[in-house]
Amino acid sequence: MKRLLSALLLAALVLPTSALAAEPATKEDKGAFISEEWELHEWVPIHLGPLNLSINKAVAYLLLGALCSCLIGIVLMRVKLGRGPTRRQAVGETIYEVAQVQVAEQGLPTKAIGRWFPYVATLMIFIWTVNMLGFIPLPLSDEKVTIAGVELPTLAIFAATSTLSVTLALALMTFVFTHVEGIRANGAWRYFKSWIPEVPKVMLPLIIPLEILGQFMRLISLSVRLYANMLAGHMLILTFVGLIIVLENVFLAIVAVPAAALFYLFEVVIVVSIQAYIFAALSAIYIGSAIEPEH
Amino acid sequence: MLSSFFFLAAAEDGADAGKAIALALGIGLGSLGAGIGIGNIFGSMIQAVARQPELRGELTGIQWLGFALTEAVVFYGLIGGLLAYVLV
Repeated sequence: MKRLLSALLLAALVLPTSALAAEPATKEDKGAFISEEWELHEWVPIHLGPLNLSINKAVAYLLLGALCSCLIGIVLMRVKLGRGPTRRQAVGETIYEVAQVQVAEQGLPTKAIGRWFPYVATLMIFIWTVNMLGFIPLPLSDEKVTIAGVELPTLAIFAATSTLSVTLALALMTFVFTHVEGIRANGAWRYFKSWIPEVPKVMLPLIIPLEILGQFMRLISLSVRLYANMLAGHMLILTFVGLIIVLENVFLAIVAVPAAALFYLFEVVIVVSIQAYIFAALSAIYIGSAIEPEH
Repeated sequence: MLSSFFFLAAAEDGADAGKAIALALGIGLGSLGAGIGIGNIFGSMIQAVARQPELRGELTGIQWLGFALTEAVVFYGLIGGLLAYVLV
């Protein structure tokens, strides 16, 4: 079983490269295929006035991610309670416990858990699913390969969270909820006053802009952390596999493919879960600190 | 636009070579700092668990939070470097 799995993993890493190798690479643009992975072509163009709501690769991955996270919820959480817990129930309860104990109770005050637990738990499961889908080779890509006369899209790895617009939208939701909830719980005047720490009056002109800037820096750090982690992970894997094509040396695969597989395992085992957890935990901490300011 | 930042293509043009060196230096120095930080976090975690093994469960969450916050610093450097590379 283990051998089969590792063989499948290697095949999944090598198969996309064989499609890439067929492409005539010009001398200047040898490394170009890596950045082309992040070019989003419109598959189903939808334009509403100035809004561009076209369905492209990232949107397809997002839709798939939404579907899969709904399925995870339904399959793992809607369990018929029987005599002994089944494995499905155990997995579902583990996820629930992580969301409850590690994420919600660490950041949110006790009175707000009922209202905001669903939001942070959804964030965690959704981001985990989208990240995880990004490391499974799926036939969703712009390149086509002809197998037995049928044109099929090549297998590729791409995460929707490795585009900035997706993570920025998620971070914007947390940003808006933080301030709405802060104003609702404390009143506008008291909430905005709680941003300013107690310092000597002389320092205030310096501190106030910094604190306001800090609120917006949260938005940037929250979105760029997730985006850059996923982007860098995919870039590392593609770069190592791509070295074979760039340097035009097949024997490089002896080094490059295990290195890529190592990075792949690191990303799948650690980074995917950590990033989902971090995003949800930080959202909970931000919302919690807006509801109950320290000052 | 993004196409040429990866490999040997940069060496053909002096300006691009400079940019490539700057990008690599930025990421390298950034990962130096993050390496020290992550080492610190796990070192402290080992010490803490060695002293009070019963606190392990509570500390694990904080440990991973600190790990992710520190690790992200490298990627800010990477994104900054890529932005500078593409825009300048």
